[in-house]
Amino acid sequence: MAVSFDYVAKETATNLWRNRMMALAAILTVAVSLSLVGTALLLRQAVNRQIGQWNNNVSLQIFMDASASGGQIANVRSTIAQTPQITHCSYLDHQQSYEQAKRLLASSPTAIEALTPATTPTVFRCQLRNPSEASTVSATFNSGVPGVYQATSPSQSIRVMQQVTNVLQIILLVIAIVLLVSSLVLILNAIRMAIFARRREVGVMKLVGATNWFIRVPFMLEGLVQGLLGAIVAALIVLLSNFGVSYLIRHYKVSVLGSAVLPTHDIVMTELLVVLIGLVVGVAGSSVAVRRFLDV
Amino acid sequence: MIRFDNVTKSYKGQAPALDDISLEIQKGEFVFLVGSSGSGKTTFLKLLLREAVPDSGSIWVAGRDIGELSHWRVPYLRRNLGCVFQDFRLLPNKTVTENVAFALEVIGRPRNVIVTQVAQVLELVGLGQKGERMPHELSGGEQQRVAVARAFVNRPLVILADEPTGNLDPATSQGIMKLLDRINRTGTTVVMATHDVGIVDTMRRRVVELDRGKLVRDQARGVYGYASDMTTSTRGVPAVAMAGNGEPGLDRDPSSGRVAAVRARRGQR
Repeated sequence: MAVSFDYVAKETATNLWRNRMMALAAILTVAVSLSLVGTALLLRQAVNRQIGQWNNNVSLQIFMDASASGGQIANVRSTIAQTPQITHCSYLDHQQSYEQAKRLLASSPTAIEALTPATTPTVFRCQLRNPSEASTVSATFNSGVPGVYQATSPSQSIRVMQQVTNVLQIILLVIAIVLLVSSLVLILNAIRMAIFARRREVGVMKLVGATNWFIRVPFMLEGLVQGLLGAIVAALIVLLSNFGVSYLIRHYKVSVLGSAVLPTHDIVMTELLVVLIGLVVGVAGSSVAVRRFLDV
Repeated sequence: MIRFDNVTKSYKGQAPALDDISLEIQKGEFVFLVGSSGSGKTTFLKLLLREAVPDSGSIWVAGRDIGELSHWRVPYLRRNLGCVFQDFRLLPNKTVTENVAFALEVIGRPRNVIVTQVAQVLELVGLGQKGERMPHELSGGEQQRVAVARAFVNRPLVILADEPTGNLDPATSQGIMKLLDRINRTGTTVVMATHDVGIVDTMRRRVVELDRGKLVRDQARGVYGYASDMTTSTRGVPAVAMAGNGEPGLDRDPSSGRVAAVRARRGQR
């Protein structure tokens, strides 16, 4: 089969132009749905990375009273050593704790002004064998150990955050899937209109013995181009919004979210996936249209 | 070139459109297919193109049983069969040259071959000067010439024409027939379904008559006129078959010349 590239390119371009309103609708729907898919994927990665970061560093923080005595601190230290669920702990003294607080509260200068090294509680930052044991472990330290102000496990708040992002992700993906289905139908319809608009040509082609693939390829390519264009728009939207979020995190030095800034590799992979889904939707839509409406 | 072996084709729930047809058409023949509307002429042509498949029997084109062709080979069969229709079927947004060239483009012929072959065939049909015209700027006869050029540009073995003069006045029809005759003289087999009495009578070529799906007459150098007209009481019975039933003056051999039945019918007029 000799399908000349020139011929196919010309036919596809003409078809897209002749059908530009339908094509535009299909392309924009693909763009919107794939933007949501891309956003959902990046959000998931960012949250997982950030949570991983928090979980690796600390699973449990034991804040001492600012006025806790050396003996009380030593006592807590030995209790920690006897707790098998805790694998490792680091102790931040007043000065170190103050530095950390300054970093964490970088976005609210008034809060920092209220602090001095002396009034900042010292803290044990501990890693747990298993982060899910955090609540039981923190309970033992919260049950009136002298000198302990409060033991908090970040994973409680993290778990809430994880659940919120999970729900958000599911909502985004459901919307994205519904939109993907509708963009598939739109592409299918656009190709059907293109086939209808060219039924005379198709009739003559069949008559003079053009092969089935020769007749089909321009239509399938048209669907593929629509999917691809939509996917490229979506990839740009995802890329720009990712830049925006990263910029905000860096600009306002929100260091707790530092790990939510994704490495280039992850972004590139997500973008490629978005483009791939766009291609698949385009080819699937046009294949169905060609099979059902192009009687060759 | 073309052979029908006991071909029967019926459409859903209706009497057969073609009923047990057997005939053979040699290479280079010119055959008129006549018969009233609904007699099966178009079905005959459709089966040849494999736009439809027979319920039983087999059809051979150029030594091949086309019922055996796999789906993807059908286009290659069609490249050997040029088609002309009553309604021309030109592409309205392409010029004459583009219309003819399109037939070669879509079967992947190289550009230089297309240019020379299109110029040649337009010269042959007498439209060498009108290549840049659009179809709507041409008369009906000229449009049909373009359609013939498109059918012939790939030098098919057979030209199938379905009432090619149906939309044209007698004088213009003569022009088209001269053209088809010329193409026939190059060795191309021509099968033409028609209702045009004048054309069939002046051309004196082989005539195959169908009536309600049955082959009722097959004459070399025949004329129009329905065999069934004179045997109204036994419509559908082949005139040839009746030749042995003591009809006076009826020619036994359908291929040896005009059938007496036709003479008789003319006498009745």
